[in-house]
Amino acid sequence: MTENQAREDIAFIRRAIEDGRDYASARSPDMIVWGVAVAAGYLGSYAFQRGWSPLSPQWLWPLCIGLAWIYSLRGVLKRIGAPLGARNPMTAALRMLWLGCGVFLTTLGIAAGWSGDIRQGWFNAVVAGVLGIGFFGTARLVNLPWLRWVAISWWLGELALFALRHRIEAPVLAAVLMLLLQAGPGLVLLTRPAARTGA
Amino acid sequence: MTDYDHAAIDEILHSRVRLAIVAFLAGAGVADFAAVRDAIKTTDGNASVHLRKLEDAGYVAVEKRFVARKPQTRYELTEAGRQALLHYVAHLENLLPRDGSQTR
Repeated sequence: MTENQAREDIAFIRRAIEDGRDYASARSPDMIVWGVAVAAGYLGSYAFQRGWSPLSPQWLWPLCIGLAWIYSLRGVLKRIGAPLGARNPMTAALRMLWLGCGVFLTTLGIAAGWSGDIRQGWFNAVVAGVLGIGFFGTARLVNLPWLRWVAISWWLGELALFALRHRIEAPVLAAVLMLLLQAGPGLVLLTRPAARTGA
Repeated sequence: MTDYDHAAIDEILHSRVRLAIVAFLAGAGVADFAAVRDAIKTTDGNASVHLRKLEDAGYVAVEKRFVARKPQTRYELTEAGRQALLHYVAHLENLLPRDGSQTR
């Protein structure tokens, strides 16, 4: 075996490992974890407003969002220091899209919570709109047209959440949307038997 | 064993298809048959033959189950398979000059 062959084989192995990581990433339960975590935050906030729960949203939301972030970043933390193989550009774009959505919503949520503006109720509609963008982009990147309907549903949900922003029941609607339109598609992607998403 | 000992190369992994399967599973963790077949870009029959050889060598563990009433076969790299891949890569790296320059 020549040195060139050895180099080619090592590059080949790295590509195959990266393909495997892409596959695992496309089937990861992140969408379910985020959908359930945020829905729990909404329902917990509603329960607190109704006086059914002693746990203040001030503590509940950092817990829910913090745990979801820890779960999503576990892969990144594992890969620190690992050799970087060739990466599927579509998968990289998908990761960047959702990372961007997550960072935007988290930072805006912290800022709006810090200033107190979050009490005006508009933030739920922003969350729905951004998730619509995320799913719309994902539908194109992974070539799954049905995800466009998820995006459209999120945008309709955005309008509903904005219209109901002053109603105490708004977090319940937001929680239902999270379970149906975030955790639901995640569950479908995770369990569908024909493994690859095309990412 | 020297750095250039060809006999040290794992015959099971010396096949490109089996090497691709093992490397793919090293990244994927667990994958079903369709994913493995698609990843190595081969036919059902060819993928089955090579997966069986890896299973016989103890490099791959197989789990059969039903999802929505359809049979699904899932594959996972064993610790022996992971070690074999690491040794294979280490052996390939030994074939390269230490300073990274190309001599051939």
